[in-house]
Amino acid sequence: MFKKFMKKPIGFKLASLWLFAVVFVSVTYDLFPYVQWDAISDFSQGDGPFKVPGHILGTSYDGMDMFTATMHGARMSTFVAVTSVFIGGGIGSLLGISAAYYRGTYDKVMSSIFNMILAIPNLVMSLALISVLANGNSNQPASDFRRVLVLTISLTIVIIPILGRIARASTLQWSSREFVLASKSIGTKNFEIIKRHIVPNVAPAILAIGFFAIGVVMIAEGSLSILGIGIPGGASWGSLLAIGRANLEYSPHEVYIPVACIGLTVISTNYFGDYIRANLDKRESKI
Amino acid sequence: MSNVLEVTGLSITFATPRGNLRAVNDATITLEQGESIGVVGESGSGKTVLSRAIMGLLPGTATRTGSIKYMGNEISELPEKELRELWGTGMAMIFQDPMTTLNPVRRIGTQLTESLTVRLKLSKKEAHEQAIELLRRVRIADPEGMMRKFPYQLSGGMRQRIMIAIAVSCKPELLFADEPTTALDVTVQAQVLELLSELRKEFNMAMILVTHDLGVVAGHTDKIAVMYAGDVVEMAPTRELFNNMKMPYTEALLKSIPRLDTPTGTRLPVIEGRLPDPTKNEPGCPFADRCPYVADKCRAEKPPLKDTGNGHLYRCWFPIGGEK
Repeated sequence: MFKKFMKKPIGFKLASLWLFAVVFVSVTYDLFPYVQWDAISDFSQGDGPFKVPGHILGTSYDGMDMFTATMHGARMSTFVAVTSVFIGGGIGSLLGISAAYYRGTYDKVMSSIFNMILAIPNLVMSLALISVLANGNSNQPASDFRRVLVLTISLTIVIIPILGRIARASTLQWSSREFVLASKSIGTKNFEIIKRHIVPNVAPAILAIGFFAIGVVMIAEGSLSILGIGIPGGASWGSLLAIGRANLEYSPHEVYIPVACIGLTVISTNYFGDYIRANLDKRESKI
Repeated sequence: MSNVLEVTGLSITFATPRGNLRAVNDATITLEQGESIGVVGESGSGKTVLSRAIMGLLPGTATRTGSIKYMGNEISELPEKELRELWGTGMAMIFQDPMTTLNPVRRIGTQLTESLTVRLKLSKKEAHEQAIELLRRVRIADPEGMMRKFPYQLSGGMRQRIMIAIAVSCKPELLFADEPTTALDVTVQAQVLELLSELRKEFNMAMILVTHDLGVVAGHTDKIAVMYAGDVVEMAPTRELFNNMKMPYTEALLKSIPRLDTPTGTRLPVIEGRLPDPTKNEPGCPFADRCPYVADKCRAEKPPLKDTGNGHLYRCWFPIGGEK
């Protein structure tokens, strides 16, 4: 396995190392004896990276340790992105595949719903959903948990039609193939045909787009945070960015670090998606 | 012997933007247990549509009239759900192009055991053993190794054998072979046909062999139906048809097979002209424009299907050799 990995292109190696690191940090964050991520340092405020001992990536203008905050941000950003892509992709693929396989009125209704959702700009829709569903009154804002939940749901809704349409287009192409008819002609039920013949062929396309979508969602989450309706208090990369933006002239590393993290992750997922599509399609192209 | 299949007055029409396209007109075919019939005709004569219509695999744009009886039961009106019970175990089909009828991303083994586990509800182990046995039957040299291969690793002939193995896996009573050798090399064609004949005898299957090549059906079928522009224009036991053909179209088809005993440089006789437009319903014999023996009556009136009495049916006003 290691030998195989070493033979892969350098881009693949870097992308998978970075993604592995992000996932690893997200999963194991609780196991490490970090200081509380939003704890305020007594002696360092707004120092750059490698300047103060104990704060390897420096501190924020308020005195938050950037390293710990970035780690914690990784967890929140990955959680939101992966959850919404996973759930949205699952629902979207299910709807897209079934629509394309059964056709008819069901397909028309599904396609129109997809198109309707796609016609609304992502950010506008998330903004609307959050402001309606996660609003508090002036004295008591909505709880953090509720805001994260609504944010994830709204991003899920954005993902459903994107992956749904990919799944539908891909299924249309595969379900008209002769082997589907051949399988039908020996009496295989529709559900079995979808499971055995459609899904394995459609999966590479969905998987590839799914990886792209993780990047898209991460950027969307960052944009929403900058608009002030994302995850509050610097809990995610986008949120750190939103806080850092105010202090750009005093502690620019507060912006650079989360931006670099988001950027690297998006590039890595894009590369990964490309790689998966190029490599899983091999069998078909060999024919 | 009982009749496996009785098709009476089957007509199939497709709704197209240019009007109704009549693909099959009033076809009548009966098939006894273990009997094989060859359906011959040029491209677009309706032979594939006929076989798919009998099986019930046509898309929703097709309308069909007439009766299809399988084992004495009317099946033409059955919903797909009930037809599915028949597919595989009662009727199965081998398709034309083995390059597209196997799923490219799944191993031969999983595709071959699919019908066994899904239809016959065998356990994985039993299905595996059965699949190996089937692969032996279709003369695959290394069945165990074959189970693990992907379709792209196989040649066309190998794939068609796999397709045959899949089609006969549930031991159907009636096997449709829709141009099973068209996409194969000539050398492989003979082997595949031989294999089909052998399996047919072994399982006592009735078979409908659809092809455009009279030479293919000659040695492998009990009777032959010749189709032209959606009509069954001649039907007879194989020997009778070749000895005593009545239809000028059948004669023309036979003449257009290249022969070895003609001198080098002889031009291959072809049937001039094209099939009539299937969306137009013109009076007269559809073959009239291309027939060398055409007379006025042929253009005015469509000939009915006549029966010579010994199972030989034809649709012509002026049959070769005169009327009996």
